Amino acid sequence: MAALWKSLLDWLRSLFFKTELELTLVGLQNSGKTTLVNVIASGQFTEDMIPTVGFNMRKVTKGNVTMKLWDIGGQPRFRSMWERYCRGVNAIVFVIDSADHDKLEAARTELKSLLEKPQLANIPVLVLGNKNDLPDALNVEQIIEVMNLKSINNREVSCYSISAKNQVNIDITLQWLIKKGKGAK
Amino acid sequence: MNVSKKDEDSGNLGIFYHLDKTTVLQEARVFNESPIIPRKCRLLLTKIIYLLYLGEPLGTKEATELFFSVTKLFQSKDIALRQMVYLVIKELSTIAEDVIMVTSSLMKDMQPKSEVIYRANAIRALCKIIDASMLPSVERFLKAAIIDKTPSISSAALVSSYHLFPAGKDVIRRWANEVHEAINSKPASLVGSASSYLTSFSTGASSYATQPSTSNINQYHALGLLYLIRQHDRMAVTKVIQQLAGGGRGGFGSSSNVLRNPFSYCLLIRYAAKILDEDPNSRQQMYELLEAWLRHKSDIVNFEAAKAICHIKDVTAKELYPAINGKFVFLSSPKPTQRFAAIRTLNKLAMTHPTAVQPCNLDMENLITDQNRSVATFAITTLLKTGNEASVDRLMKQITGFMSEISDEFKVIVVDAIRSLCLKFPSKQAVMLNFLSGVLRDEGGYEFKRAVVEAIFDLVKFIPECKEAALAHLCEFIEDCEFTKLSVRVLHLLGVEGPKTATPTKYIRYIYNRVILENSIVRAAAVSSLAKFGVSVGDVEVKKSIKVLLTRCLDDNDDEVRDRATLYLKLLEDEAGAEKYVKDDSTYSLSALEEQLVQYVSTLEATEKPFDLSAIPKITKAQAEAENTRPRSIDLNTTSQTLGSVSATITPHVVNTSISTASRDVTTPTPTGLVQQHSYAPKLAAIPEFASYGELFTSSNKPIELTESETEYVVSCVKHIFKEHIIFQFNITNTLNDTLLENASVVMQPEPDDVSLEEVLVLPAPKLAYDQPASAYVVYKRINPEEYVLGSFSNTLKYIVKEFDPTTGKAEEQGYEDEYQAFQVEDIDLLAGDYVLPTYLSDFITAWDQLGEDGQVVETFALTAMSSLQDACTKLISLLGMSDVENTATPQYTSLHTLLLSGTFLGGIKVLAKSRMTYAPSSGVTMELKVRSQDIEISRFMIGAIA
Repeated sequence: MAALWKSLLDWLRSLFFKTELELTLVGLQNSGKTTLVNVIASGQFTEDMIPTVGFNMRKVTKGNVTMKLWDIGGQPRFRSMWERYCRGVNAIVFVIDSADHDKLEAARTELKSLLEKPQLANIPVLVLGNKNDLPDALNVEQIIEVMNLKSINNREVSCYSISAKNQVNIDITLQWLIKKGKGAK
Repeated sequence: MNVSKKDEDSGNLGIFYHLDKTTVLQEARVFNESPIIPRKCRLLLTKIIYLLYLGEPLGTKEATELFFSVTKLFQSKDIALRQMVYLVIKELSTIAEDVIMVTSSLMKDMQPKSEVIYRANAIRALCKIIDASMLPSVERFLKAAIIDKTPSISSAALVSSYHLFPAGKDVIRRWANEVHEAINSKPASLVGSASSYLTSFSTGASSYATQPSTSNINQYHALGLLYLIRQHDRMAVTKVIQQLAGGGRGGFGSSSNVLRNPFSYCLLIRYAAKILDEDPNSRQQMYELLEAWLRHKSDIVNFEAAKAICHIKDVTAKELYPAINGKFVFLSSPKPTQRFAAIRTLNKLAMTHPTAVQPCNLDMENLITDQNRSVATFAITTLLKTGNEASVDRLMKQITGFMSEISDEFKVIVVDAIRSLCLKFPSKQAVMLNFLSGVLRDEGGYEFKRAVVEAIFDLVKFIPECKEAALAHLCEFIEDCEFTKLSVRVLHLLGVEGPKTATPTKYIRYIYNRVILENSIVRAAAVSSLAKFGVSVGDVEVKKSIKVLLTRCLDDNDDEVRDRATLYLKLLEDEAGAEKYVKDDSTYSLSALEEQLVQYVSTLEATEKPFDLSAIPKITKAQAEAENTRPRSIDLNTTSQTLGSVSATITPHVVNTSISTASRDVTTPTPTGLVQQHSYAPKLAAIPEFASYGELFTSSNKPIELTESETEYVVSCVKHIFKEHIIFQFNITNTLNDTLLENASVVMQPEPDDVSLEEVLVLPAPKLAYDQPASAYVVYKRINPEEYVLGSFSNTLKYIVKEFDPTTGKAEEQGYEDEYQAFQVEDIDLLAGDYVLPTYLSDFITAWDQLGEDGQVVETFALTAMSSLQDACTKLISLLGMSDVENTATPQYTSLHTLLLSGTFLGGIKVLAKSRMTYAPSSGVTMELKVRSQDIEISRFMIGAIA
């Protein structure tokens, strides 16, 4: 009987304190989305991942926050399907490889066309400049400049420079994301 | 009341009773909700699958939309839900776009660390969505899954690989080692927590998950895949069979056996049988294996082995013995499937080895009363084949009782069987005719009646004694026949056969009744039939009556009937006309006519002139019939042979189609001499130089290859025998695309230099372009028409080569200046058989007795080089150029056989041969050959062909 009460209490408590949020990670191939998800989920960095064919789905619980992470493949053939997985999420995380200067142009175009989708209006966007441990990596200001983030004015946009490898700025990223969950409630 | 009853009926369907696609697709929105309610989603997925199974069409757009909603369900970890997700993905994989999206998720599910229940299903789903290009990236995982200890996972990987094999041969070939390992895996019971790959939702996964699968079915799957990989390497397959067969004879049932799954043994048996079929050298070895499997502890293995032995092409009685013994047991098995399987195989076997099946007759007779009609039909038809004359009466009695209980399709089968039996035992015709006329009176559809009528037609044709009785039955039949087509055929037959009988007037009444009572088509046929009586019957009284009857027909209200009546009335006055139009026995050679007509229709210029019928060769009715009989007699056998497959599939229309295709199969690839000849005759007739040689007597059966097929120029030869001339037709094909041959001819040199042959004409092929065969001819004349020359010719192809540019399509003008090149090809023999036209004969014994001993030559030969009776038969048939009669071309026993042959010698002289032969391994084949013909010289000549 006691156990029953306890479980009931737990359930009630979780109703009040548990936050669930749904996030979609997109970005060009080899920008580090799957790696980032792994780092968030397990706190460990693993190199040499095979490209994501399709999507991966991970559920991560941090304290009383449960995050559903949709990690979508970045190869050109999957880009048309990003939108499907971005609908109705709490936030879109757009990951870029800040050290790969050749692909920034493509990243900007993809982000722009994604955000133009009417279905995705008002969903907050977090742009992450990954791999800032590499020598040629752009800093936050440069990323904002290159990605033309200032021009996005119909929604909340943030930008961090992170390193999944060295776990730099992962904590503030998480904080930002969790805030979205709470803000939505 | 009604409502509650309806509820009861639909109870099981429940929520599935009124499913609507639109509603279901609307509901699919729950997949996008958060959090996910597994129970609700699973139910919806079930509905989707149910709709798909009902055949509800799903558009690409709808399917894609649905598919992506379903992918959202990967967030739930609910096992039962995930299983449905896999199933739906598999179903949608062919309809929706971008299904590749789930690849990553599925690959995650098939990792070793995820649950067993996920893994097997994920593998199956994955292999549905990937293509060959993706295969290398999943190769590692699939290889690992193949050798997984859990049978369900191993099976999933194996079956998936099997299906992927056509697309990704090269990759999957590399997995042979893993597949081998899967075959040799430890028994499942030792592995422990193997689980069946589908759990039920309501009972919960736990009760199933712990239950190990003991079927070892993954061995079966692995063997199938291994064979797919190795199928073209006979040595490898043989090795696999030997390895897996266990420690040789006697080792069966012992624990040392690798294979524990009976189905795997069945597969192995099939592979072994295939090897045995393809490679005569492995026969002994494979047969021993098959024979040992007859004693396997599993029924299905026993049966498969017995079946394999029965299907060996030239199986001997001794080899069959153990297999037949095994079948005994199955025939009296309480399980209908086993009885059916056994009787079906025996039925097929009875076609070729009736005597071997005879020991089972007693058991089979019990099966006639079997509740299962398929089994009973098989039993009857098998007995009809194996029975001897004495048992026919008893069988016929049993069949009569049985006929009313079976459907039309089975009746057709039985009637066909009886038809072939009639021809086999002509002395029993009275019983069978009674039976046939009895069933003719029964109710039945067109196909059935047609079969009966055709059977009676055959009796009329082949068994003269029963003609009168059969015609009487047919007359009675048309009195009350609802099928116009059959009435017309019967009337025609009456017209042909009636006048030859003792009392033709008897039939006239029946025929005239048709004129009064039937529809216009039948009336017209009846008028024609009457006219035949008028022309053919000598009696003046009859003629007068016919005239009266025909005059009455002039008032008919149908044009055709009046026209016919008028025509025939006129003809009755005019003897010569009647001779020409009614009695004329000749008909156009249909194959030639067809060819000419096709040509006429397809060439534009030709249509300006009227079609020239006189160019079509005419043949007599007898000839046309001979042409028809041969395929027909083969047809009889195949019809009953297909019976095997036919009765297995009970569906009515399948019966007819499979029979008709079977007979078509038979007639096309083995054209008879006559048919062949018709294809040559018009061609030769078109060459003016040959016009004076008269009519073509016979052509060699098939072209003789004079070169290897891969030489520059491929040459084959056909021998055409005319009354005094022999034409050698050389078909030459140029296989070089950069040359053009001109003026190609063949120079023939008789060896020894024979004076009795004179070369009269050499006709070169003017031009030989790449891959466009052309013919060159050489004509010899036999100086002494009484002497049938034999000999050998060495041949050389001579031609002028010009270079040819395939890109421009122009030949180099100068080339090699008029310099003839020579190309030696193989020799041609002129054999005794070349002078003989193979003709089919329905009743050998009578013909043999008619010829008598006056023209008989007997000689005994010892053929030590022959290794079997089959060899001897084949060789003898080709040497003598005659047609085998009464299916004696394939010996039934290894040691003793009688071969019957029939043919027509140049000049229309009938030649028959009877060869009794014995075989002993030490001395080879010993043969006594008797040849009879109207001319003893010809008999001698034919005997001489052997020496």
